[in-house]
Amino acid sequence: MASAIALAAVGEVGKGFIHERTSETLPCQATNKLFCWDWAGEHINRYETPTLQHLELVAISVVIGFVIAFALALLAHRHQWLQPPLLAGTGVLYTIPSVAFFFLLLPLTGRGMDTAIIALSAYTLQIIFRNTMIGFANVPRAVVDAARGMGQTDRQILWRVELPLAMPEIFAGLQVATVSTVAIATLAAFAGGGGLGEPILKGGISFKTNLIIAGGIAFLIAVSLGLILFAVQRFLTPWRRVRQAG
Amino acid sequence: MPSDELTQKAGASPVRYSGATKRYPGSAKAAVEDLTLEVPAGEICVLVGPSGCGKTTAMRMVNRTVEMTEGDIFIGEQSVRDRNPAQLRREIGYVIQQIGLFPHRTIAENIGAVPQLLGWKKERAAARGAELLALVGLDPDLADRYPAQLSGGQQQRVGVARALAADPLVMLMDEPFGAIDPINRERLQNEFLRLQAEIGKTVLFVTHDIDEAIKMGDRIAIMREGGKLAQYATPAELLMDPADEFVEDFVGADRALKRLALMRVSDIDLWEAPLAYVGQATGEVRAKLEGAEVPYPLLVDSERRPLGWLSGRDLAGEQVPARPDSPLGPLLDRDDVMRDALADLLQGESQYAAVVDHEGRIDGVLSVEIISEFLASPEAKTEEHSATERPHG
Amino acid sequence: MIALISSPRLASIQGAIEFIFTPQTSNVTGGKTVGGIHQVLELLVNQLELTIFALALSMIVALPIGLYLGHRGTGELFATVIGNAGRAIPELALIAFMAALIGVGVLNLTIALAVLGIPPLLTNSFVGIHQVDRSAVDAARGMGMTEFEILRKVEIPLAIPTLFAGIRSATIAIVATATIAPIAGVLTLGDFIINQNVYGDDGVLAGAIMVALLALTLEFGLAALQRRLTSKGLKLSPA
Repeated sequence: MASAIALAAVGEVGKGFIHERTSETLPCQATNKLFCWDWAGEHINRYETPTLQHLELVAISVVIGFVIAFALALLAHRHQWLQPPLLAGTGVLYTIPSVAFFFLLLPLTGRGMDTAIIALSAYTLQIIFRNTMIGFANVPRAVVDAARGMGQTDRQILWRVELPLAMPEIFAGLQVATVSTVAIATLAAFAGGGGLGEPILKGGISFKTNLIIAGGIAFLIAVSLGLILFAVQRFLTPWRRVRQAG
Repeated sequence: MPSDELTQKAGASPVRYSGATKRYPGSAKAAVEDLTLEVPAGEICVLVGPSGCGKTTAMRMVNRTVEMTEGDIFIGEQSVRDRNPAQLRREIGYVIQQIGLFPHRTIAENIGAVPQLLGWKKERAAARGAELLALVGLDPDLADRYPAQLSGGQQQRVGVARALAADPLVMLMDEPFGAIDPINRERLQNEFLRLQAEIGKTVLFVTHDIDEAIKMGDRIAIMREGGKLAQYATPAELLMDPADEFVEDFVGADRALKRLALMRVSDIDLWEAPLAYVGQATGEVRAKLEGAEVPYPLLVDSERRPLGWLSGRDLAGEQVPARPDSPLGPLLDRDDVMRDALADLLQGESQYAAVVDHEGRIDGVLSVEIISEFLASPEAKTEEHSATERPHG
Repeated sequence: MIALISSPRLASIQGAIEFIFTPQTSNVTGGKTVGGIHQVLELLVNQLELTIFALALSMIVALPIGLYLGHRGTGELFATVIGNAGRAIPELALIAFMAALIGVGVLNLTIALAVLGIPPLLTNSFVGIHQVDRSAVDAARGMGMTEFEILRKVEIPLAIPTLFAGIRSATIAIVATATIAPIAGVLTLGDFIINQNVYGDDGVLAGAIMVALLALTLEFGLAALQRRLTSKGLKLSPA
């Protein structure tokens, strides 16, 4: 009791003194501060490699995913009976959490960027496939009939009529897929694939500044890519279309 | 709970607009301006006018799906403003153009929607549903189907049945047959009029089609842009006496012809033709020709059924021949619609047409001249037929 | 080539299955007993609990707002932006950050996971209600249903497909992130995957298999529930 009072007394007296000593002796990352500006300023370069890796992961995965999904969609457009099984198949790949997917692939491809890319591409398949199908379904029957009536071949109709009109929906799918992939790619670190997840894992959960920077960069990338794709879509489709939330 | 005035067993209430006005914020012109009119119980009042004239808004003010800014509307003696909107609407039948059946409910459940809201017992609602399906001319087996399985015409019949389910005192119908193809539209119109003859509801009916208005309405309210009432009158009055140029234009340049659609042949005074029997002395017949309204004798049989027209050559002999020179031409019935009768006359290329009664016996003779004389006469009054008694279909 | 395909993979799957069912001495960290059905079930239950709590919380928060806005027809921009922003949230950073901010433990983690579940629920409930056929709503209002009755009896039943798409989306996101909850101290099936040095390769594979099975089961379950709840009238094609 007496010692507590004594300590408090000392505290009161030396508060300012001790305060100054704390900020001098303990580095920012050991404290509970929300964001250490100095540290951030000094160490910002650390995030360069992870960011580039992250972008690489996303770019490759989305491109591969889009190519495969789009090809499957064209196939299913021609052969309607393929739709339910393909939808179900891509759905399964979408449902399995990426982290699990990474490690299901483990025996086959081991750790590293390849595994991450395969899993991330698989994740995008259903989104892009489904949106492309919806895009085709939204093309008015009357327009296709008119095109057929004026003598266009099936292939011409596909490329000149159906795809342009399905574009908004396909782009919406691409946008959703890209944004989601940026977010999920933070998990690639678990598979040894690098990316912005790595500094998070390495830094531990108590170092908030690190989390904010790494997570913040990922979030910003996702949002910017989303907006860019949105702008591109608007640019490519000058006619008015009602966009449905993906 | 509905007030006592509204539970009249008569099944219909009068509707009275009193200076009803609707102004939307930010809009200089009113959507409906100072509307005052009275619809007697059991009558069909058609609100008609060009797009944007406020007819739908005016109708919706009755069940408060649009709220009045000024003025009032009375159903019976009670103002609609005094009622809770949801309660009020459960006593008013509501039929809209897009039909609006609930896709996720069976036909029976759709029809029973308002009864369910009013708390009816299941058996009572089901029985009423079957009754109504029959009333609107649908197979009772459809009760367990879903709207997606019915055609547009069938769906709208269900829409009407749904509106009638709780035996409302007033029906609101907003272009109910607008989304239906023309053939089925005519059938539905006729069937609704037949239905109305049976049940006699007070109906506010909105349409942009003046022909439909004339066909369906006991009274017609023509509205102009800005929500103003241009004229409120019976169809016959509207056609004979348009209030101003706008009404005249809206009714159409062919309003004389339109009037003919409201009349039957029996409404007009027919001319008499001298009758000739087979074997009769031609002298007698010639004598009758003097001063007759129709300068040709009509050959009839012993039952006074027309056989044909006699020419001068026919009368050359002693006796009236059995076979007339000129064929009978168009034969009209006294119950025929005047408009159709005129069409027959013109098509038949003959000047006169014999008109017979239900037994086929000669009643009189109609000619284009009679019709145009009649239309031109300033005192000509047509018999006022209500919508359900008028010729249609 | 054949050796590559046959031996290591098959061996691992076999080992993984063994891991799931029988406790074994870890061949990585000396002497510790790992695996076995009890441990697996314990972590499975943890993950399931976390998922269900988080889903429930996000539904309680997001659904009333989304349904209300959708019924009124306002706030479309809000719903869309939240939906898009939600997709952009990096799961790993979210878990770590929320753990750092509000602490570890099931309750706090539930809140963190609910943050992931809210955006798809909000967007889909808005869109689902908003896109219901206006004429059915007009008829319902005109026949005397109160606003709440319209929502309950007409709009929600007709919006079930879209609503459920949102629920499924939220569930998938939550389950996936619950997998890495171990980094914030809550032991779920992800622990097997993340801590390879404790559970060994067999454990990692076992964990991945279990997580995948859990996710797929939840998805199928929700799909079946959706089929049950979707009115027959909506599934029909015109006669």
